[in-house]
Amino acid sequence: MAFLPRQLIFTRRHRLVVLVPTLVLVSLVLAFPPDGQEHSPWLLFAGKFHLLTIHFPIALLYLVPLLELIGRHKRFSHLRASVEFMLMLGLLASLFAASLGWALARNGGYSGRIVAQHMWGGLLTALACWLCWILRDHAASRRGNIVYWAALATTIALVSWTGYRGGQLTQGENHLTEGMPAPLQSLLGISTDESAAADATTVAVVDRNTFYGARVEPIFAKNCYSCHGPNKQRGKLRLDSYKTILRGGKHGAVIKSGNAVGSELFHRINLPQTDDNAMPPSGKRRLTPDEIKTIEAWIKAGASETSPLNSVQGAPTSIAAAPKEIELPEYDPSIADKARSMHAADVASLQKRYPDLLQYESRTSAMLSLNASLVGEKFGDSDLAFFRPILEQIGTADFSGTSITDHSSDLIASMKNLRLLRLSRTRVTDDGVMRLHDLAHLQSINLLGTQVTPAMLEAIASMPRMERLYVANTKITPASANTPTLKQKLIF
Amino acid sequence: MREHDHDDPKTSSDPHIAEEQERAALTGMLPAEKLAYLQAQTRRHFLRNFTAGVGTMFLGASLPELCRSVHATDRSIDGNLRIDFVRDPSHPLSVLPPQFAPTAKRIIYLHMAGAPSQLELFDYKPDLAHLDGKDCPQSFLAGKRFAFITGVPKLLGPQYPFHRAGQSGQWISDRLPHLEKHVDDLCFIKSMKTDQFNHAPAQLLVQTGNARLGYASIGSWVTYGLGTENQNLPGFIVLISGGNMPDGGKQLWGSGFLPSVYQGVQCQSHGDPVLYLKNPEGVSRQARRSMLDIVDEINRQEHKEFGDPETVSRIAQYEMAFRMQMEATDTMDIHKESAATLAAYGARPGEASFANNCLVARRLAERGVRFIQLYHWGWDSHGAAAKEALNLGFQDRCRETDQPIGALLDDLKQRGMLEDTLVVWGGEFGRTSMKENRNGGSPFVGRDHNPGAFTIWMAGGGVKSGYTHGKTDAMGYEIVKDPVEVRDLHATMLYALGFDHRKLNYPYQGLEQKLTTVNPARVVGEVLA
Repeated sequence: MAFLPRQLIFTRRHRLVVLVPTLVLVSLVLAFPPDGQEHSPWLLFAGKFHLLTIHFPIALLYLVPLLELIGRHKRFSHLRASVEFMLMLGLLASLFAASLGWALARNGGYSGRIVAQHMWGGLLTALACWLCWILRDHAASRRGNIVYWAALATTIALVSWTGYRGGQLTQGENHLTEGMPAPLQSLLGISTDESAAADATTVAVVDRNTFYGARVEPIFAKNCYSCHGPNKQRGKLRLDSYKTILRGGKHGAVIKSGNAVGSELFHRINLPQTDDNAMPPSGKRRLTPDEIKTIEAWIKAGASETSPLNSVQGAPTSIAAAPKEIELPEYDPSIADKARSMHAADVASLQKRYPDLLQYESRTSAMLSLNASLVGEKFGDSDLAFFRPILEQIGTADFSGTSITDHSSDLIASMKNLRLLRLSRTRVTDDGVMRLHDLAHLQSINLLGTQVTPAMLEAIASMPRMERLYVANTKITPASANTPTLKQKLIF
Repeated sequence: MREHDHDDPKTSSDPHIAEEQERAALTGMLPAEKLAYLQAQTRRHFLRNFTAGVGTMFLGASLPELCRSVHATDRSIDGNLRIDFVRDPSHPLSVLPPQFAPTAKRIIYLHMAGAPSQLELFDYKPDLAHLDGKDCPQSFLAGKRFAFITGVPKLLGPQYPFHRAGQSGQWISDRLPHLEKHVDDLCFIKSMKTDQFNHAPAQLLVQTGNARLGYASIGSWVTYGLGTENQNLPGFIVLISGGNMPDGGKQLWGSGFLPSVYQGVQCQSHGDPVLYLKNPEGVSRQARRSMLDIVDEINRQEHKEFGDPETVSRIAQYEMAFRMQMEATDTMDIHKESAATLAAYGARPGEASFANNCLVARRLAERGVRFIQLYHWGWDSHGAAAKEALNLGFQDRCRETDQPIGALLDDLKQRGMLEDTLVVWGGEFGRTSMKENRNGGSPFVGRDHNPGAFTIWMAGGGVKSGYTHGKTDAMGYEIVKDPVEVRDLHATMLYALGFDHRKLNYPYQGLEQKLTTVNPARVVGEVLA
């Protein structure tokens, strides 16, 4: 590559001087590593600005290769004059932000693998940046140029990787993958299954046949690992293995075997949420009474790692008895627009033709609910024919009291996703009903008051999902059921 | 001229074209009307309107913010939970799908007005029987307010024998032999609580989520959220029996701050189902139609001028009443049912009975009515008179309701409708474990109001069958496990219908009003199948 403008702003001595704070910072990190404790509230406060300041050097460093590349063009070659200044500024800014980062990690109760990786990543970035600055002087030669670009590439890679690790610290470990569309996930072979992720970071293997493994460990895993696990050890406490539970935290043991009330852990989980020492702390999910009782029974029985599942007295029978919380997720109605787009025109014209009969099952669903019973006898076979383009979108269909006959059976049989079908008080017969036996999702069929006979029972009852057959006022009687399973499905 | 328009077959055949032509004609007339209006203005008019005008200018600037009407609002006032649906103001009752897949499409709510005693029906307390006649412990009375109990009352054991029933083995008293056959379909919540101990506010709390007047009832919310499946019938119908209105009055099915088109329509189970629905003698349906057309036109003009959503309500209600003339009369007519069905319910056409109402409820449910609300009065068993004594009148209430409810559940089950109909049974609070002895030594036995614990049951539409949630203490006086607030029940009902209770809201008085109020409500996941 061609000539590089030598507009030296800084002397060699400048460069060596800048190395000093870098090395100071490195020694600081080595001497006072983040240890999961909170040392100085002042430094912690300063450390909070790490998140604000860090983006400045990141942007600067990304700009450097960009300017170098654009600057190759004659019209923009003047841009390259600023590169050196930017490298220097990027280095100083990253050192400043990194010191704040150290203050945050050292005083914010951080420790663990990800913090360490993020921290060393940041320091290496600063060093790489410094290296770029030095190497740029020698980039006039072909070899020097290659070395310079390699250093630049390393810097960018380090910035990206460190940034990703930082993101994991603040946003959660799978902050990039969790919202990833499913097709992309499978393409990249990423699994966001939380249990898999947890297993990967949990070193200890627990025996699920013991009370500890089956009942206690899951409570800790669900409620405590995020702060007292492999990645963070607030108060120097790790609860992700039996050994570390016994070792306790910075105030000593958290569990006194046989003495639940005297155990720090049990004391803390029983404190009211407003108490500063309450665990899990305010804002996190509280342990349920059953979970607390389980831990209490375990400690009382000696807090053993190996005692078998049924050896602990007084524990609630099952964690499954815990309240069943219903998730009310945020949802985006526009998702449905996409799924509906293929049939939207057909649905709209049918809704116009048959007002009120055809509705989407929900605001986020593309499945439809057809209720022809509202118009009764006025709805016949010829009407159903109009629904041909959207048959597969129909999840529930109610033809009660309409004048449809066996002629519609093939149309109904094409409703591949049908879950519920009502044919009560129609003129359908065995013949028509038996043609529906391929509806793999059908759970409930209503044949009340039709001419069906026991002859069609076998075919319908053997459908894979079929659960309920309404057959009152037909020729079918409870005696028609020849197996107990069939008997359970018939409703009179 | 307008008459002529309507006689023209080309225009009247398609109502949309006719409407558009009318609108065009109206706009054309407006400048002339305006001129006439201005010419009629006097100095007094000016002075009067001026003061109002200044106020209007302020309102004009802030009104769109203050009271957004049925129109869609993208963001709610509190900024986070969005109302995610659009109501076309000219079709306030059009069907809207729920927010997520529902387990119930409609609700039949059987409100036992007066609050039936859980201790005589479902909540079996053998210990209370042993303590019958003993003085009530002070701990029960400290800090409590009662409607009638004074001094130290005596404990009162269950007045009827209990036994286990069905495969689920749930306790039930001998007063409800028909319901007992369905015990495996029922999902009991024995730990309901309320904070109201008088009937009217407690009923309002149960039906509108708030003990004060002016809030929208459950049925109104449901109709607002889902619309009316059958455009020839109201989406929310109320039927009354027991000889009295519930204490909470018509506010119990009012629409509160929601446009009044969403309020419940009270129908009668004898005589005309809806008063004054029939055309007066000598007025043909045709004549009624043309009268409505003109009234509609005036109303539309009014709405165009002032934009009041209540005007739209009025248009919609006139139109619905016209369509109801056919369908409602037919639906409410239980003569059309077979003798066997009438016998199963114990219904006798022409009476205002709970049995008739249950049968009508089934007919309404079949025809796509969303929310069917039955009130049966007379459960206030204080024991001050024979009619309301646990040992007398209470038995009659059980008889009046047991067979019809059993038949209703039978019918719904047989017709496959229990799959998507949620039936809810309950009062407005519970009754005390203590005997109320208002008249000293009277032969009548009664209990006072207990807001601390009561029992309701649900069946069908996505709730567990043969299940009991929650528990009261050995006296049946206070909840010891899984308390369920009224708003939790509301949230659960809305969830069954496919709603996040936080997102079924309506901006009014600077607040996103919700059925579950501003307090956090919990969907009782444990009772959901």
